[in-house]
Amino acid sequence: MSTNPTAPLPGHVPGRGPGSALPPSVRPYGRSPGSPPPSPAPAPADPQPVRRRRSGGWVLALLLVAAVGVAAYLWLTTMRWQDNADTWESKARTHAQEVAELRTQLDGVNAELTAAREQVATANRRISDLANEKAQLGDENVASQQYLEYQERVSEAARIVATALGQCTDGQKELIGYLKDADAYDPADLARFESQVTDLCTRATDANAALQAELSQ
Amino acid sequence: MRRRLGAALAAATLACTVTAGCGVLPELPDPVPLDIVPTLAPSLSAEDSANLSPDGFDAVQRMAVRIRNVGCTSLSTGSGFAVDEYTLITNKHVVADSDQLQVSTYDGRDIAVGTAATAALADLAVVRTRDPLPSYPELAGGDPVAGDPVTVVGYPEGGALTVTTGTVIGTAHDPLNANLGEVLVTDAPVEPGSSGSAALDQAGRVIGVVYAKTADGQSLLVPLSTLQQMLADDAAFTPVTECG
Repeated sequence: MSTNPTAPLPGHVPGRGPGSALPPSVRPYGRSPGSPPPSPAPAPADPQPVRRRRSGGWVLALLLVAAVGVAAYLWLTTMRWQDNADTWESKARTHAQEVAELRTQLDGVNAELTAAREQVATANRRISDLANEKAQLGDENVASQQYLEYQERVSEAARIVATALGQCTDGQKELIGYLKDADAYDPADLARFESQVTDLCTRATDANAALQAELSQ
Repeated sequence: MRRRLGAALAAATLACTVTAGCGVLPELPDPVPLDIVPTLAPSLSAEDSANLSPDGFDAVQRMAVRIRNVGCTSLSTGSGFAVDEYTLITNKHVVADSDQLQVSTYDGRDIAVGTAATAALADLAVVRTRDPLPSYPELAGGDPVAGDPVTVVGYPEGGALTVTTGTVIGTAHDPLNANLGEVLVTDAPVEPGSSGSAALDQAGRVIGVVYAKTADGQSLLVPLSTLQQMLADDAAFTPVTECG
């Protein structure tokens, strides 16, 4: 903002006569265009440039105040952000330290977990092996028990066969003795005794068949 | 008067400028919180948690049992699996002609057997136990189709607990005429002693029961639908007749 450089100086009368560039406001009233001009009066001072200078000063002052205010605000903001960043950095470093410690602990725990898993796997394999060994021993035990029972059955059958054969041969020997002196005995008694001996020998034959059946299993 | 008006206009203009300028000025930072650690820590979920068990054995191993059929003059072994806490499923020929049934678990524990019953129309048997069984699987929603993966868990040759895998090849008429209807054919390896093993899908659910092996090494399964049909019919099973 500046004052008007073309403002007329006091005592100078510009633009007399027709076609003058004087504004109507400064032209004298009640005279014809051809009449001689009155004695020149000092032109009143134009108040407009003074107001402009004063308004421009106010504006400048306000702008200066505003600029100072903005600068203060920016300085405050910068300081706050700086403090804020420092605080965050401090927290970040603290947590980074904790993260580093936790990572170390995690690595240790993972190593322990891996070892524990291997131990569990080994233990499970051992349990499976022991379960299988127990099952096989159970099978062998049952098989041995069944074989023992088989042997007992065979032995019993052989004992029965031996007994029956003994009774059969004894009976036959006794029958042969009776038949050598058949006249001394009642024929009916001899026939009954012969039938009894035949039954004994039949039982021996059956026992032998049972033995053979056991042996064939 | 005009001066005051001009000053007021200038002040208003300045105020508007400052006000508009405040919009582009950075705001003051919020105070740093004292504690930035979340109250609720993210939950940690273990990998393969579905397979976790109290003793580290897989669920498919925990449900399998070894069955020893002590006959009057014979001894045979087979496999089976639990379907609930006191019920086992196996094959009819595994429990046939028995004087005594002896059941043991994956970890070698002996399970006291109550009763056994066999199905007339399928090579299936149900064994009720007096001791609780360690684990039992779910039944699948339906029979598998060709190409589906299958896992067989059992005791081949009466040996150690074994898990084998394969795929479902298709269905076929039962060559042994032991089952009514179609049976499943898979390429999962089985051996004598695997009879009664559970055949499982990828989710560990029962899709069938192993009952035979073909000459070309394929395994035959009683399908799940037949098993469910038999289990739903109380009259389908009759008590096992002991050997004399």
